[in-house]
Amino acid sequence: MTKIETKAFIQAKFGEYYEKNSTNIQPPSSMEKREFGFLLLKERIMLRHKSFKTPQELRDSLKRLIPSNAYYSSAYYERPEEEMEEKGWLGADLIFDIDADHIPTPCAKAHDTWTCTNCKTTGRGTPPEKCPTCNEQKFEEKAWPCEVCLESAKEETIKLIDMLTKDLGLSTKEMSLGFSGHRGYHLHVESKEILTLDSIGRKEIVDYIVGIGLEPQLHGLCRIVGPNLDDFGWRGRIARGTYEYLLSATPKQLEKIGLRKGTIQSLSKHKERILESWKYKGPWAMIRGVGLESWSKIVEQAVKKQAAKIDTVVTTDVHRLIRLTNTLHGKTGLKKTEVPITAIEEFDPLKSAVAFPHDTATIFVSEAPKFRIGNEFHGPYRNEKVELPMAAALFLLCKGAAKIAEEGSSVR
Amino acid sequence: VKALDLKIDELASPEYAPVVNRAEKRIEEAIIYALVSERLQKDEIEILSFPIAVMMTAAAKDPFLKRRYALAEAKRAYNLLKLENKEKIMEIAKVFNWKIKPSERQKAPTETATYDFALGFVDFLRNTANFREKKWKLVNRLVHKGHVYLTKDEAARLIAEEIRVHIEKKLDVKGLALPENIVKRVSVLKQLFSRQRGKIRLEEMPKEVVIAAFPPCIKELYNAILSGRHSSHVGRFALTSFLLNIGMTVDNVVDLFRTLSDFNERMTRYQVEHIAGGKGSRTKYIPPKCETLRTHGVCPGMDEICRKIRHPLSYYRRKLRILKTKAPVASGA
Repeated sequence: MTKIETKAFIQAKFGEYYEKNSTNIQPPSSMEKREFGFLLLKERIMLRHKSFKTPQELRDSLKRLIPSNAYYSSAYYERPEEEMEEKGWLGADLIFDIDADHIPTPCAKAHDTWTCTNCKTTGRGTPPEKCPTCNEQKFEEKAWPCEVCLESAKEETIKLIDMLTKDLGLSTKEMSLGFSGHRGYHLHVESKEILTLDSIGRKEIVDYIVGIGLEPQLHGLCRIVGPNLDDFGWRGRIARGTYEYLLSATPKQLEKIGLRKGTIQSLSKHKERILESWKYKGPWAMIRGVGLESWSKIVEQAVKKQAAKIDTVVTTDVHRLIRLTNTLHGKTGLKKTEVPITAIEEFDPLKSAVAFPHDTATIFVSEAPKFRIGNEFHGPYRNEKVELPMAAALFLLCKGAAKIAEEGSSVR
Repeated sequence: VKALDLKIDELASPEYAPVVNRAEKRIEEAIIYALVSERLQKDEIEILSFPIAVMMTAAAKDPFLKRRYALAEAKRAYNLLKLENKEKIMEIAKVFNWKIKPSERQKAPTETATYDFALGFVDFLRNTANFREKKWKLVNRLVHKGHVYLTKDEAARLIAEEIRVHIEKKLDVKGLALPENIVKRVSVLKQLFSRQRGKIRLEEMPKEVVIAAFPPCIKELYNAILSGRHSSHVGRFALTSFLLNIGMTVDNVVDLFRTLSDFNERMTRYQVEHIAGGKGSRTKYIPPKCETLRTHGVCPGMDEICRKIRHPLSYYRRKLRILKTKAPVASGA
């Protein structure tokens, strides 16, 4: 079967979804002030600068256009339909994007692949800087939303929410969290106070979350004292991060961050004393042979552990388009799903985001690692014809890992 | 001015001469010293002269003069605010609708300072956007429940910044019709400003120190100090005055000398402060010109840019411009 037929199949399924589910699609607040954008499945072009007055108008458009991806702006405009310069920016929500792409996971090598757009050389893991065969620098990347990756994205999200609430004092009532339908989470903050904050101010928030430019000395680390576990803000985070890091770090890891042999020995010899010291003032000045320089290196690792790995570009961009909740993700056929913040730990993205719970389809899979959609595991597959539940089949089709195998895929 | 029912035309009358004189002086001080003095003998004159100085500066229609005047007034405000008590600072902060409260936190054992205020983080971010020092980065602050903890001095600094922005906005008024004698004074001030332009350009160099833009002589001296090697008196003076002029703080310059075996904090600080124009001498020194450096054996030999300039600071400015225009190409490669 041809590529065109596969595309038509996806289009038909997406169309069905929007026919059946359009009433579930809730527009964002102040929808009339937002810009909407749709990536069209067939034409592969982006329709931008759209605006809608009512939920019904928006739903009708989705049904008519059947986009592969649907977005709305984090920004509010006087005239959302005009060109960028003419829109009249009124403010923007504060948004965060946590994507597995920004988190190095051990499994990336197993399931991610890249293809050089020039000579078609392929490889696993993250693409190299230059293609080993032809030296070109453009690659097509295929990343899988695997469980390990999604779980690490979730952990980063939890850290992010912790910092936003405890340090920045934002309320979870002002936040909404969504699973993107692919490899990450979007956190959206609608706060009047932050609304008109410019991109420079937002960059400072990003630096706070990621720990960029953090100077341990300005958090009280010096030759005789340092931060304590129950201190506020980054101060406490540095202490807690140091505690955890020293608890888990192996001598090899300590060597890797540039500590001297003697220092490492002192640290392991006094492990008990260090643990005990947190009840008082921390271990900062008590271990002979571990000086400020060594502590600074350890704190650097602690900061990395405590920081939340967000996409720094998304948050600083005050014109950003974000995926609309309950619309489909063109790369997976999963839907962007609202996540209750209080129940984030139990949230199962690969189950909750299933948009096609019924029917099956028979497809020809070129290559796919083992994966899960809903409750079931599938694969690994290589050049074989399989009948799969519709959600799993669409997932592989959207990923470009499979083609439709026969016309009348069984419909119940 | 509106509240006092003062008509702009009346400013021409001799009755208002002291006020107009002070207004003129304010701008003059801003041009020459980048700081409006704090003389407070007569409150009315001080208070009335401010809006008039604002009108006069606005009438000059020079964006650089406007910026400089606003900055000078803000510095004046900072110097006055530092002396006020906490209650007064709170009161003024509230005028700008700041979300501020007294800090109920005691000095924690690991904290180096006692905090006087807790300020909403958005107010903090709005007023630190132009600050470059590391201590003003949000990530380096104690932040808890939406508030950034500040000392009284820091709060005064942020209010001064709010005042600067506020004045800059006021200076954007258009269509002022001033009486002739005042228009004349404005044009005299404009002439003064253009005479001072060259000196001001040096002062307003970007605050971030770009080592890549150092001229060869300074680069050599800088590396020598970093590796603990000694250099001549002229060399140290050239380096110190250069770094201070491109915006390095006294503290940072003093730190640089710390690696030297005969480092004496008190002496070094005294000398650096002297060169910075602090201690005793009110003059801020600029580095010697190329010719002098060559005479004293500090010049290690010229490169291409050196041939086009006669002063290390001109080299820095020129190189900065080149680096700026080249930057995007370099990062794209």
